[in-house]
Amino acid sequence: MEDFAAGGGPPDLAQFQATMLAIERACNENQMCMNSAAAEATIVSLHQSPNPYLCCRFILENSQLANARFQAAGAIRDAAIREWGTLSDEDKKGLIFFCICFVMKHATATDGYVQNKVSSVAAQLMKRGWLDFTKSEKESVFSEVKNAIIGMHGANAQFAGINFLESVVTEFSPSTSSAMGLPAEFHEKCGSSFEQDYLQKFYCWAQDAALGVTNRIVECRETLAEDRVCSAALCLMFQILNWDFKCAGDPLDTSNNRINHEIAMLRKFEFVLVQPGRLWHDVLISSGHITWLLGLYDTMRAKCSVDVIWFDSPLAVSARQLIVQLCSLTGAIFSSDNGQTQEKHLLQILSAVLKWMDPPAAVIAAVRSGRPDSEILDGCHAFLSMATLTSTLLFDNLLRPIRSYGTLQFLSALTCEIIQAHGVGNNEEDTWCSDALDILLETWNVLLRRTDIEKNVLSREGSEAIVILFNTIVESHLKAAVNSAFDELADSEHFHASIAVRDERLASYALIARKVASVTIPFLIRLFSERFSTLCQGKGVTDPTCILEELYWLLLISGHILTDSWEGETMMVPDELQTSFVDIDDVAQHPVVVLSWSVIKFAEQSLDPDMRTNFFSPRLMEAMVWFLSRWISTYLMPTKTSKSYSSTLIGRTVDHSKNLLLTFAGEDNEGRSLLDIFVRISLVVFTSYPGEIELLSLTCQHMLPALVRRKNVCIHLVTLDSWRSLSNAFVNERILFSLPSRLQRSLAESLVGSVSALKETEASNQYVRDLMGPIATYLVDMCTKDSVKTFAQQPDILFMVCCFLERLRGAARATESRTQKAIFDVAVSAMDPILTLLEVYKDQSAVVYIILKFIVDFVDAQVVFLTPKDMATLVNFCMKLLQIYSSHNIGKISLSMSTSLLNEAKAEKYKDLRALLQLLTHLCTKDMVDFSVASEEECVNIAEVVFLGLHIVTPLVSMDLLKYPKLCKNYFELLSHLLEVYPEKVAQLNADAFKYIVLTIDFGIHQQDSDVVDMCLRAVAALSSHHYRERSRGQEGLGAYAVSSYGPEGTLQEGFLSHFLRLLLHLILFEDFSMELAGSAADALLPLVLCEQDLYQRLVQELIERLPNPSLKPRLAFALQSLTSSNQLSASLDRVNRQRFRKNLSKLLVDVSGFLRVK
Amino acid sequence: MSDEEHHFESKADAGASKTYPQQAGTIRKNGYIVIKGRPCKVVEVSTSKTGKHGHAKCHFVAIDIFNGKKLEDIVPSSHNCDVPHVNRTDYQLIDISEDGFVSLLTENGSTKDDLRLPTDDQLLTQIKEGFGEGKDLVVSVMSAMGEEQICAIKDIGPK
Repeated sequence: MEDFAAGGGPPDLAQFQATMLAIERACNENQMCMNSAAAEATIVSLHQSPNPYLCCRFILENSQLANARFQAAGAIRDAAIREWGTLSDEDKKGLIFFCICFVMKHATATDGYVQNKVSSVAAQLMKRGWLDFTKSEKESVFSEVKNAIIGMHGANAQFAGINFLESVVTEFSPSTSSAMGLPAEFHEKCGSSFEQDYLQKFYCWAQDAALGVTNRIVECRETLAEDRVCSAALCLMFQILNWDFKCAGDPLDTSNNRINHEIAMLRKFEFVLVQPGRLWHDVLISSGHITWLLGLYDTMRAKCSVDVIWFDSPLAVSARQLIVQLCSLTGAIFSSDNGQTQEKHLLQILSAVLKWMDPPAAVIAAVRSGRPDSEILDGCHAFLSMATLTSTLLFDNLLRPIRSYGTLQFLSALTCEIIQAHGVGNNEEDTWCSDALDILLETWNVLLRRTDIEKNVLSREGSEAIVILFNTIVESHLKAAVNSAFDELADSEHFHASIAVRDERLASYALIARKVASVTIPFLIRLFSERFSTLCQGKGVTDPTCILEELYWLLLISGHILTDSWEGETMMVPDELQTSFVDIDDVAQHPVVVLSWSVIKFAEQSLDPDMRTNFFSPRLMEAMVWFLSRWISTYLMPTKTSKSYSSTLIGRTVDHSKNLLLTFAGEDNEGRSLLDIFVRISLVVFTSYPGEIELLSLTCQHMLPALVRRKNVCIHLVTLDSWRSLSNAFVNERILFSLPSRLQRSLAESLVGSVSALKETEASNQYVRDLMGPIATYLVDMCTKDSVKTFAQQPDILFMVCCFLERLRGAARATESRTQKAIFDVAVSAMDPILTLLEVYKDQSAVVYIILKFIVDFVDAQVVFLTPKDMATLVNFCMKLLQIYSSHNIGKISLSMSTSLLNEAKAEKYKDLRALLQLLTHLCTKDMVDFSVASEEECVNIAEVVFLGLHIVTPLVSMDLLKYPKLCKNYFELLSHLLEVYPEKVAQLNADAFKYIVLTIDFGIHQQDSDVVDMCLRAVAALSSHHYRERSRGQEGLGAYAVSSYGPEGTLQEGFLSHFLRLLLHLILFEDFSMELAGSAADALLPLVLCEQDLYQRLVQELIERLPNPSLKPRLAFALQSLTSSNQLSASLDRVNRQRFRKNLSKLLVDVSGFLRVK
Repeated sequence: MSDEEHHFESKADAGASKTYPQQAGTIRKNGYIVIKGRPCKVVEVSTSKTGKHGHAKCHFVAIDIFNGKKLEDIVPSSHNCDVPHVNRTDYQLIDISEDGFVSLLTENGSTKDDLRLPTDDQLLTQIKEGFGEGKDLVVSVMSAMGEEQICAIKDIGPK
């Protein structure tokens, strides 16, 4: 049976022996990294030699060297796939049988990787012939394997058989299959036929194999081999259930709202829902399979867990893996009995999983004293899966039939223990605690974040369990705060990442706290006031550090509970807080209000210099300012939303309670005085915490922007004395010049932004002039001095100039219609000095970059407002700027002693170029805004300017630079915009410039980023449509650039149109082309086809003739034929026609991609 | 603003000052700083605190602009650091003498002959070859704290 005669002729043993030795030597050399090129060549030649089968077989059977056997197996695979068409049916089957028999025979071998390789070769050949083999041929192969698996040839062959099936499943699953150079369609067909005929059979065989050895395992009489068989069988079952089931096909039973079908949460931990469909009901549900599996694990656990190593043994791991996976079994496999079967199923698993973690304290203690953590982590995953599938109420009730408490109570107890263990441990070895906590918090998130969960869904015990959980969280974190108060603050490299992780956890805690806000918020109020009074009592006597750290943590958690994260567009008072306190009438009693007041009262203490120096450390202030920023956006003078009046009594009390929260810091109440406090706090930060960058950043980038974000707040803000003193300090105080320059920008932006509230335009403009005028004056003064070149390089002057430019940039970013005039005037007066500065600071890349960024933001903000005259001023200025910049940067070779400085210099150049491209793009938008304005003669010709700009910039944009994704995006954004809006200008470009554009588009079309490809396709579409339209009107169009011509040296210079026609056809037919780009590809292809009809027909013929498989030719011909003929496609470029072509192209892609693209 | 107005005048005259004080917290990556008496370019800044509730301090990693050596320093972020006055001047190259010195044309027409050729191989060959081919070369000279070095060249002549 295992004979195959491939190649014919008698085997030449001497020859085989020689090849074997050569391969063995090559493998050895490769491993020792000697002479590796030659060794590699020897091995490759074996893979590529024709008919190597007998030789490979000889090596497999005779070589003592595992590596050589591995290579021989690989060579069989490569050769057979390559020569498949010419092999006889006998040879094909012979090869498969040989491989299978080989693994069976050598099942005891220790070199697992060779066995796996041979298995996988057999599986791949099986798949290669899958569609040609008859049913009985397949049966004959698999029946052999089945015999082995059910144990007819002993445990080792059993293991080898299971291993082979694993390879088969891997190969047939489309996501894990190996490449064979065949169309995607082939892989699909194999996959679905396999799923239908064999997947379930394999599962049953694996089950039988496992059943066969379990008795001995349970009695602890098993051999090592049997143990191996059992765990391999469980792994195979796990792998089969991971299959992406397609044949399930039955609609989901959505009538039952206790079972959920959302899966987003599971993905986070790389779990998926298992939905094998109704056909699997017998195998998985009614056969008692799960009872058997749970029983097996339970018995083993009872007998073997004395030895802690058992928990991590392959058998235990694979059994648990399968159990956890079965938790997420759902869909049509359960009969539609309103979810009762599924609930029973979940309870069954839950009661088994419970034993892994109950009682939590004891289990965690065991893990801490050395038991592996894998079981408890798997248990947590099981909980998460169950929480995802069930409604919160059902989840809580699952446990009740077997315990006196609900699942929530158990989960709470478990989480508490983990949190405590997490707090105590705090060392590297305890990462499992952190992992388990993440999974459990995610479970709580799933349970509590549900929108359908009403307050009454939680039982009293459930609510109490959550209260206990939150108390534990707080206590354990306060304890940790005290313990770590004197630690050095660890390295700042991961600082912001660690803050993000911390915030995510705190947000989960906050979600838990809000569910029982009526208990948790008063609890926090008490803790806060206790700490505050202890702090004051101990003044000057005791070291406050520990209490400061506790307060720090309390501020963070309070902030998370009272407000949502600021990623949202408008911050709202969290829903739970609005509905939790319906019975509270008096605003002074409302817990949310009380907590807010106590924090703000505390914050106000920082205004007292004595208190400040004693207690308000930079870190505490950071938490404070962070809290206030979020609080301001949520509660301070919230804008009134349209009120809905409820007619019911309950509705009205809810409204009343909501209203309390919306008005207690409103404009009519405390709002104004609060505002004053916040502004004064920010002044104190600027004056009393110099150099505390983190604190200053929070103030400039979060708190002040929060204050000026809403207009109704600004109205009050600009009338405050404290705001005026802040503005004055900004202009005059030295201390504010020592802010880092990026913060100068944010500060200027907030200050200028605040005047949007002034009623009088003149008043707003005056305010801006007062703020920014002195800067322009300074720059003008400076640049009119003769000695500017010398003193400008002084570090102090340099620093001032950077500050001023950043301030101007901040102001530019805050431009609004009211302040536009003043900002423009200030900038215009600074234009000449800025050009001088660009000249003077040409070697100070930081200054150059700030100047460019200022102009970019300035143009972006101003361009929509400008009159033609102002626009002309601006455009002239930009041109001069571009010229100066390029004169300093073209042809310059900079050099440095250290490579890192050289790389820095390159990075700076790259940033500059991005800024320049952005500048040009912003300038372009002017035409978009103004295209309704008729007075053409006054208008500056933006197109001229931008093309000139592009001309200046492109020599600096090298192909290497285009490899940087951001720059690439900026460049193509500009380019596609230009080509779309001004195609007629392109025809006038000189040959070099045009060639450069074609070159870059070519480059862009081959990029990974679909946005870039899309922009390039749009550019091609624009140019070719322009050409087609012009030609049909008898004009030149792109003229000489469009058609191919012979250059002076007789070389063919391919025209724009034919080049891209060829490129696009190849791209959409043969490359991995994403369907989302089909629309833009169609838009580009249609005009190209219309322009170059003849070439298109020629290309089509070529494509069809080149197809390797003759049976596919008519299919492709028909598909390409209907591309240009179906749907009444005409030869015009109007919208209707383009839409038709889009439809045709998508159809073509769907039709042909299956057999043209190969894997 | 008032005390700023004539600020640059006086300093410009003083000229002799080689370094200027600047708050450590405002010195950024790519800025200059003096560490152990050497002018450096900052390649990395990180901040940390002396104890959780202490004050911030800046940790600078910087590279000596003349010899490329790496230096580090830790300074409380509200304190001042010395920042060197780094100047770059462009001169036209007139001659390369055999003893490794170059002759440069200054803006006011006189020559400057006290500079050696750079030690860097790439730059050296470019200067020598360019000069040999008769190109018009402009060299950038970087100076700080009394030291000078050629740091870049540029071909300004016609092709």
